Amino acid sequence: MAKRLAMVIDLRRCVGCHACTVSCKSENNVPLGVFRTWVQEKEKGKFPNVQRARLPRLCNQCENPPCVRVCPVNATYPLENGEIIIEYERCIGCGFCIAACPYDARFMNPERNTAEKCTYCNDRLAAGLQPACVNSCVSGARIFGDINDPQSEISKLKDSEPTIVLKPELNTRPQTYYIGVDEIAVRPNLMETIEASILNRVGGEK
Amino acid sequence: MPSVQFFDVTREIYWGILLAFYLFYKGMSAGAFLLSSLGTVFGIERYRKLSKVGAILSLVLLVFAPLFLLIELRQPGRFLSLFYRINITSPISWGVYLLVLYAVALLIYTWYLFRQDMAANLTGTGSKSGFYKFILFGKEDLSAKAKEDDEKQIKFFGAIAVVLALAVDVYTGFLLGVVPARALWNSSLLPVILLISAFVSGAALLIFVQVLVDKFKFGKVQDDIKSLLSSTANLLKWFILSDGVLLVIYLIILSLSGKVGAAATYFLLFDETWSFLGLEIGLGLLVPFLILLTKKTRQSLNSVVLASILAIVGVLAMRINLVIGAQKIPLTGSRLLEYTASGRDLAAVIILSLVMIVVLVVLFAILPMNRTDKKETNVGTLLKSNTKGVAQ
Repeated sequence: MAKRLAMVIDLRRCVGCHACTVSCKSENNVPLGVFRTWVQEKEKGKFPNVQRARLPRLCNQCENPPCVRVCPVNATYPLENGEIIIEYERCIGCGFCIAACPYDARFMNPERNTAEKCTYCNDRLAAGLQPACVNSCVSGARIFGDINDPQSEISKLKDSEPTIVLKPELNTRPQTYYIGVDEIAVRPNLMETIEASILNRVGGEK
Repeated sequence: MPSVQFFDVTREIYWGILLAFYLFYKGMSAGAFLLSSLGTVFGIERYRKLSKVGAILSLVLLVFAPLFLLIELRQPGRFLSLFYRINITSPISWGVYLLVLYAVALLIYTWYLFRQDMAANLTGTGSKSGFYKFILFGKEDLSAKAKEDDEKQIKFFGAIAVVLALAVDVYTGFLLGVVPARALWNSSLLPVILLISAFVSGAALLIFVQVLVDKFKFGKVQDDIKSLLSSTANLLKWFILSDGVLLVIYLIILSLSGKVGAAATYFLLFDETWSFLGLEIGLGLLVPFLILLTKKTRQSLNSVVLASILAIVGVLAMRINLVIGAQKIPLTGSRLLEYTASGRDLAAVIILSLVMIVVLVVLFAILPMNRTDKKETNVGTLLKSNTKGVAQ
C-alpha cells in the first residue's frame, strides 16, 4: 500500500506546554498573529472536580479536502503521501480555501499574501527529519508516520487505542487522530458561545 | 456546567464587505436584466419600454461587480491564471467563464437594442453623434430589413443572456453552498434564495432608475410609464413575498438541521437581530411589501420609489448577513469572530460605487433613451385599451 502520512495526538500525554506551537512558528517562520498549529485549552467543572481539556490543532491533511475542492487555480493539492501542499507562487489569495476549511487550519500569510497552512514541515521531511512539533513535544504526545505501514509506531497506536477525528460528519476524512480527547474540546457548545455574546452586548449597554 | 475558554488563538474573517457587494451588484445586474428582457426576449411588448434602462444598468453593474472581487484578492496580479488554471470543482472557476460570457452576450444585446436609435441620430455634428458614429462601426443601415434583423439579434443574444444571467446568479449559491462546514451557506435553498432576491433588487433598481431617467431626461414621467411601473411594482411585490417565504422555509429547516444549524438560527435571530430581523426582513421585505400591497399605493410613484429603495437596502443587508454573518460563527473556537471592514475595503466600496454611478449617469445622458419608436407607439396604443388585466 502507498505511503500515507498521518498524525496521532495522544492527549493522555499532553501537558499543555505549547512547545509545538512555538517550534512550528520558529521552524516555518510563521508571522505574528497566525498559526499553523496551536493548542486550545478549556477548563470545565467546579473545584475540586475540575479538568483542563486541551486540543492541539493543525491541518488534518484530509483525504477528501474541501480546500482543494474549491481552489480556483489548482494552487493546493495532495501529494502522493497524502500531504496537502500549497504552491505559493500560484495562489491568487482569494481566500476560498480559508473559508472552506472546517478546521480553521488555513490563514492568509500577511507577509507573503497567500494562503498558508501546516505541511508537516515538508522541508524537514525531505531531510529525513520529523516535523518540528513532533520533535519538540516534551511528552511525546504527537506521533507521526506512515499510517499504511502496519509496523509503524503510529499504526500500532491507532490500531490498539480508541481514536477519534474532528467533525467526521463533514466527510472530510481527516488524518489527524486523537486519543483521550474531551467532548467540550472537540465540540464547543455553540449555543453557549452565542448566548455569551448576546449577554456581553446587553451588559455592555448598561 | 459551563466551560471556560482558557487559551485560543484569534481568527480573522477574510471574506468581507467586498464579496458582499460583489454578490449585491451582480445579483442586481442579473435581476434588472431578466426583468427588462420580458419585453425583448419573452415578447410582453409593454415591458419593452424598460429594456433600454435595464440593459444599460445590468451591463454597467456587471462590469463593475467583478472589480470588487479583484480588489478582494491578495494577489490581484495573478488573476489571469483564473482563465487557464481551471478546477472544475471550484465555483469560482465556473464563475469566471460565466461572467465573461454573460458580459459578452449582454454587450451585443445592448448594442443591437440601441443601434437604430443611434443611427437615426447621426445628423448632428456634436460630440454625441461622433460617439454614436464611433460605436456603430459603420452599421448605420435604417432599412426595414436591417430593423428586422436587429429584432432577431436582440431576441437571440437576449435569450442567451437570460440563460447566462440565471447561471451567473445560481453559481454564487454554489460559491457559498459548497462549504459544508458553514451551516448558513451549506443549503440547497441558497441558490434559489439568491436568485429570487436578485429579482427583488433588480426590479427595485429598475423602477428607481427608470423614474430618474424619465424625470431628468424627459422632464416628467409619462402616464404610460407610470402604469408600467405600477405593474412592475406589482411584480416586485410578488418577488418580495417569494423571497420572504423562501427565507422562512430556509430558517425552519436550518433550525432543525442539527446542533450547528440550530445555533446558526439562534445567532441570526437573537445576535444579529438588528441587521437580520430589523434591516433585512423588516425594513427590506416587510415594509416594502406592505407599501406595495394596495393598488392605490402601487399607482403612486412616490410610494413605489420608496418601496424600491427599501427593497434594495434589504437585499444589501441580506448579502452582508449571509457572507459576513456566516463567518462570525466560529468553526473551532468558543468565541464569535469579529468583523470590522478595513479602511481600504470601505474606500474601495465607496469609490467603485461612485465611479459606477458616474458611468451610469454619463451613459444615460448620451445614449438615446427614447421609446417613441414607430412600432412601439403602435403597440402602445393597441395595448392602451387593455393595460389593466396584465399583472395588475
